[in-house]
Parts: sequence; structure tokens; C-alpha cells
Amino acid sequence: MSGLKREGDHVHRLDALRGTTPQQPHDARAIAALAANPGCARRALMDGAGIDKDAAARHLGFPAPFGQSPFAITRGNMFEALVKADGCAELLRMLREVLGLPVAEVSYHDVENVGAHLRHAHTKALFDRAAREGHDAGTLYDHPLLSLRIAGHTAYLEPDVVAFQLGGRFHIVEIKSFAVIDGQADPAAVAAAARQAAVYVLALRNLLEELGHDPLKVSHDVVLVCPENFANRPVATLVDVRKQLAVLRRQLARMTTLDRLLEGLPDDLSFDLLPDEDGRPTRPVAELADALHRTTARYAPDCLSTCDLCFFCRDEARQEGASDLLGRQVRDELGGVASVAEALGLADGSRDPAEGQEEIARLLRNAERLRRECLN
Amino acid sequence: MSDRLDDLERRIDELRAGVRKAMRVRDGATARVLRAELRSAERAWDALVSGRPPQAKEEPQPQKAALVTVREQVHQGLRLLGAAAQPRLIVAVSDAFFGGTIRSSQLTSLRRDEERSFRSSPFGRPYYLCAALTDRLSPARGLLTLSTWPLERRVVGPLSPRVDFLTCAIATATAIEERDSDDERALRLLVRMARNIPGATDGTLGPPDPGRVAAAARAELLVHAERDTRDRAELAERATAQLGDAARLFGAATLSTIKKENAK
Repeated sequence: MSGLKREGDHVHRLDALRGTTPQQPHDARAIAALAANPGCARRALMDGAGIDKDAAARHLGFPAPFGQSPFAITRGNMFEALVKADGCAELLRMLREVLGLPVAEVSYHDVENVGAHLRHAHTKALFDRAAREGHDAGTLYDHPLLSLRIAGHTAYLEPDVVAFQLGGRFHIVEIKSFAVIDGQADPAAVAAAARQAAVYVLALRNLLEELGHDPLKVSHDVVLVCPENFANRPVATLVDVRKQLAVLRRQLARMTTLDRLLEGLPDDLSFDLLPDEDGRPTRPVAELADALHRTTARYAPDCLSTCDLCFFCRDEARQEGASDLLGRQVRDELGGVASVAEALGLADGSRDPAEGQEEIARLLRNAERLRRECLN
Repeated sequence: MSDRLDDLERRIDELRAGVRKAMRVRDGATARVLRAELRSAERAWDALVSGRPPQAKEEPQPQKAALVTVREQVHQGLRLLGAAAQPRLIVAVSDAFFGGTIRSSQLTSLRRDEERSFRSSPFGRPYYLCAALTDRLSPARGLLTLSTWPLERRVVGPLSPRVDFLTCAIATATAIEERDSDDERALRLLVRMARNIPGATDGTLGPPDPGRVAAAARAELLVHAERDTRDRAELAERATAQLGDAARLFGAATLSTIKKENAK
């Protein structure tokens, strides 16, 4: 992690951005979401400073539509319990089928046995032993606790299960309750799961590296366990997360080079919510909104499923009539045309294309002509 | 027929009064049992009035089970399984073989109640439902055992979860064979277990042969038995040496175990 260490003054600058608001610890979901929109400076700054985006969005009057539903959480927990029931009987079957785990490998360690406060140390000790002793150590590690340095702060992560002894390598097992129907699952859900698993892979690799072992002992293939078809029967699939790992690494490295972003900011800028004794934010909404508007966001409709501030940024994008609203694909095709009004103006000829806009203007005019012909 | 109807009506009245009484003293468990009986009595009454034969399966079970407490039902289930088990499995076994009425949620506070009872009057009961002990000698999460078992059977080494699962599978298969049971719930339980034991099913979708399941489970058990027995013996020895009576049954608090180990 040496590349991720930063100088102290940037930490101070980030702490100043956060102000008196307590820091929001990162979880795997939040870290994974970082990789979803790497171009957004607003998000990079807020995450770097560990600001509670949900609280900020709520205070601004744009509460996010997500946070998991209690039903989804219950369903997820139930399915996880089912997979882990009876000494991980179902999981062992799947690992034997998918990865050819030998029958003798059934050892199961529940890291949580040591009590919550020692879990991280115990996880370290167990993995150190496993990596050193090779085949005589455990096979399944339940409730491990890993850590990852995010922009100078430590985030604690809890993978579902870590399996070892599949060819001497560690595999992250991610249990998700979305269904795989006829071999197909919702691509968005799989992508999210893969991003999340990549966070665990990265954290585990860092742990092994710290302990002086080969980080590549952690496989980039993660085992994704989902219910099959319309029954509750779990099925395991191997998912390659190399791509997600690369994005995540880049994003995390970028977070530590926030200097560039910070340099462009006015000195008095702060996202402090000024919480009172009960933790209720007291900062005037307009002031906070103004502070946020001074950082550039890169809104895309995908943000709606990954970022707490999504409604705020969408509102901003709407007011500006930005072409971002129409999604990444449209934005890319409209390269050089920043707003919807501008695009419409180019299309109906009421606006002359600026330099470099001739090509897109011709396309838009053609499109407009076709549309008119269709409508008439 | 009208005699039976009269009987049933009297019974329904009694049950209704019973439910009301139980609700007044806020005894949820009794009320639930009585309600279940009430419903079955009402169904029988419906069936009699309309001249349809009552569905044979539904009637006798709740009445039989009502005589057995939750504690006793768990005891029965555990005795059949013969190894530390999760509440879900105990409930499934009790349901499949003893017509049990317990649900997993009723088992959550059981261990605490047992511990309280043991502490107020040690060894006052013939058996206690107690915890399985982890390698830290703390209570293992979500596992129940019987105090009458030897300590070796109540501790959990690294291989023990699998060994216990296989032991439970063998016990279930044997119980089905002995009783020659064709009860749907028992077979469903067996199917679920057999799926996770290599060589236990013949690849068809039908119910597996109990003999074959037991044989497959025994075969896998052989692979793990030696190491597991060794681990357990060592743990049991440590538990005997370090723990008092109550902690031996219900597990030591985690932190104190660590302190003790550090002090050594």
C-alpha cells in the first residue's frame, strides 16, 4: 500500500472539508461504487474526506432512493444462512463441483469466535498460518474481517466467506440473493457483485503482502453463489474480476492523488454539516448546496443506483440542461455539445455550429429532418 | 353423527375459552397451540356437517404435540440426531419424525433460559439443552447440544461442523429406514441432506435410498474421523481442565478465556 500513502497536509485539507461532521466509514459497497463513476470529482472529494453523503443529501432535501430495503436484507441474510447451514454443506458441495475441492478439505473456522474486537487480528493470524503451512491449514473461513486503506483512513470489510486450498490459493466467496435463471443473471447485479468482490480480493492481497506472502495467492476468480432458477437452491459460478480490480486500483490510487483536485478548490470551501449535539445538521442548506456546486460532478443516470447524492446532481444537471442527463452513450455521441438546448438549437438550425461542431451539427440536422419526415 | 357434532361443538367452545384465557395471561405459546387445535376442530366440524371425510393427515398431530413442551421436543430431536445441530435442523427433524410444532424462533431464548435455570439450581434437571464449545471454549453460535453427551461430542473443532452434519445425515437416514417412514417431510429432509453428500444420490430426481445415503455419509466420515476425534479430544481435555460446571455446559465468555490463556 506504500503507493497509497499521502502527505499529512492533504489529510488536513480533507479533514477541513469534512469539518466537524463525524467521518463515515467506507464499506465494500461504497468502495465498489467508487469504481462505477471514476470521472466524478465531487464524489472523489467527498469519499476521500469520508463525508456521509447520505446525510448531506438528506439535509439538502434530495434523499437518495436507496439504501437496501429491509426485505432485500432479510432475503439476503436468509439465503446466506441457507448456504452456510450444517457446516456449509451446500457451499462444500458447490466448491467440490465447480472447483474440484478434495473431499478431505472440509475444515471450517469461524473467525467471529474470538469476539468482535479481535476479529481483524485473528483473521490475520489465521491467514498467515494458512499461507505458511499450506495444505494442513483450514479450508473455509467464515466472518473474516479485512481492512483497506482508503485515502488515509482504514475501512473494515467483511467478505461472506473466504475459501482456501483450491490449488493452494485463496478464493473470495460472495453470496448474493439475486437469481440465476437458466444460466443468466441480471448483468447489473453481477457487475455490482463483481466490483464488491474485487474490493475483497484487493484487501486480502494487501493483507498477504503485509504478512510477507505472495499476494497472487489470492485468486482473481471469485466464487459467486446465487439461487438457481426459481428455487432456493444455491449454485456457484466463477467470476473473473481482473478488470474490476484494475479499475479499483486506479481509482484508489487516484483518491490518494487528490492533491490536484484539492489545489483547484478555494481555501474556505467546506462540506461541513455542522451537526448539533444530537447529530442533526444545522448548516444552512443554501450554503452547503453552494459549496457543492463549486465542485464539478459528472452525473450519469447510472449514478441513481450507486451514489447517495444522485438526486442532487441530477437536479443540477437538469437546471443546466446538461446532455449528461441522457446517459453516457448519448453524451459521448454529442461530444462537444454540453447542453440539451444547444443540441436542439444545432438541430433546427437556429444556432450556428462553433468550430469543431460542424460534424455533430450535420448529424443532428439530419436526425431532425428524418424525425420531421416521420411525423408528417 | 350428531353425537360427534355435539362433541366437537363442546370441544370448540372449550378451546375458545382456553385461547381467551391464555391471551389474558399473555401466554402466547399456549394460545398458539390451542388456536391450532381449534382450527383443526373447526375443520373437522365443517367436514362432518358437509358430509366430506376430514383430511386424515391433519387431525391427530397437533393434539399429540401439544402434550410435549418445546424443550422436550428439542431434546427428542437432538437425541435422534446425536450431534450438535442448528435450530433449523432440529425443527425439521422434530417436524418430520415427532409431529413437532416448534419453530426456529422459539429456540432462540432456550439456551439462555436453560443457563439461568442451571445457575439457580445446578443439576436440578435430568438434562439441559446447552451450547457447543468452540476452540476458544466460548459458546458456538447457533448450535444446540445435550448436557448428557460426553464433552467430546459437544466441542467443535475445525472439521466438526462437517462431521456433525454427516452424523446427522446418518441418523436421519437410519431413522427413516427403521420406521420405514414414507412421510413426505422426512423424505424431503433426507433429499436435502443427500444432495450435499458425494455418492448419496443416484442422479435421479426421486427420493434417495436411505441405506445408500447412510453408506455414503459413513464413507465420507471415515475420511475426517481420525483428525476430528483428535481435535475434539484435545479440546475436551482443555475444557475439563479450565472450565467450571456452568461454563462447561454453556461456554465461557470470550474475553475471560483469552485472559486466562494470556495469564498462563
